[in-house]
Amino acid sequence: MDRNQLIKWLKEPAKMGHKYSLHAVYFCTGCGIIEVPPSITARWDAERFGVTPAASPRQANLFLITGYVSLKTLKAIIRTYEQMPEPKYTVGFGSCPINGGMYWDSYNTIKHLDRYIPVDGWIAGCMPRPEAIFVAVTHLWTLIDKDMADGYRRYRRNYAAYRANQEMVLGELGWPPLFGGEGE
Amino acid sequence: MNVLWYFLSPLIALLAGLLFLGLARKIMARIHWRYGPPVTQPLIDIIRLFSQRSASHGALFDLGLVLSLAGSLVITLFLPLGNIAPMSGSGGMLVILYMMLLGPLGMALSGGASANPNASIGVSRKLMLAMGYELPLLLVLLAVMTRFDTISIVSIVQQQRAGAWSIASFPLVVSGIAYLMVLPAILGLRPFEVAGAAQEISSGPQVELGGPYLALATMQHGLSMYIGASLFVNLALGGAANPFVFLVKVLVVLALCLFVNASFPRFRVEQAIGYLWRWPTLLALAGLVLTVVTGR
Repeated sequence: MDRNQLIKWLKEPAKMGHKYSLHAVYFCTGCGIIEVPPSITARWDAERFGVTPAASPRQANLFLITGYVSLKTLKAIIRTYEQMPEPKYTVGFGSCPINGGMYWDSYNTIKHLDRYIPVDGWIAGCMPRPEAIFVAVTHLWTLIDKDMADGYRRYRRNYAAYRANQEMVLGELGWPPLFGGEGE
Repeated sequence: MNVLWYFLSPLIALLAGLLFLGLARKIMARIHWRYGPPVTQPLIDIIRLFSQRSASHGALFDLGLVLSLAGSLVITLFLPLGNIAPMSGSGGMLVILYMMLLGPLGMALSGGASANPNASIGVSRKLMLAMGYELPLLLVLLAVMTRFDTISIVSIVQQQRAGAWSIASFPLVVSGIAYLMVLPAILGLRPFEVAGAAQEISSGPQVELGGPYLALATMQHGLSMYIGASLFVNLALGGAANPFVFLVKVLVVLALCLFVNASFPRFRVEQAIGYLWRWPTLLALAGLVLTVVTGR
């Protein structure tokens, strides 16, 4: 730990905790997940950044959307995202969640992930290499420092719009709205 | 001064437990030829978890975790930390044996209340494993108590420091080896990591814990590691003259278990029970018989 970070730790321990303890959801959303095992094991060692795979969404605060998102996966992604405790960060990995990528013409995948859940950052490429995950993590640190990784707040604020988008592609969702109509 | 230790010794145990969790992650990383997280990583995780809020599943879910953490904290009052044992006058080893059940029991209650199938499987595995290692552990403790003719753990430590460590004296060396063989199961490390198997049942009883609940569970995990290893240090390695040497000895024992943890894959439940009830139990039984036959 840098000595000049000690002041930050004393001032805002919670924020520093969110920065340096990122537990990622263990959830294969597409072909990009193939880059995750090398990055969390001995070759690239994500643990030195404080990034650890968490076993369940309740324990996690980082969600890597690795690869294309089919409609069936989208339903699982939304449920997982809503189960994670706040503050939570989402990173789209690869070109498919950004703009559909090579699945642009597919009838069964969504093209823009950030219409359905808020996304804090993107990693472009098809495939991005494992190093790109670490670049993303350090960028995420900067965003958390500047309070710009506020996807979970945007989800709260614009929940009605997100829910409408989700229902547009998935039809009737099988669960009640996460935030009631009290205007939280 | 004595009153002060009632607060200090659980605190030292808690901090030592968290430090051991961090060192365990670092040592495991170095064994894998990785750089590894900073040693303070569990502390950072706990700060992060306490700043979050997560869903609760009812009163039993909250209270089970509190019970398990409180039970573990109370044990540290009975376990000598070097020359310091605040509640050494009462109960001795039998109290420790009873209280050691509170940790798994509290986790089982909160896991059961969370109504998640993975948690139920984890709880049943944890209790099965406890059944597996309690038998050899009880035989070992009986041998030690028979040998030193007392149930007071402080007296056992003092007699060892006057004579030889019990792992270096003849009949008890058999029991000591048996204890060493079940120690990974007591600490919940591989090859006995059946209850908290992250890849298999999503970390078992902890699957529904998030935010502060997970922080409490992490603290309890660190404490249970500390308790399991320090009981071994007190019974077999002769305790220590001061807390610092004691913590170093505990660290050595934990490092030994971590090498086992890094080298072996996970047992299935019936393989774990089969191992625990065969070799360590036979050795512990032999140790007990030898101790009774040779007398004091």
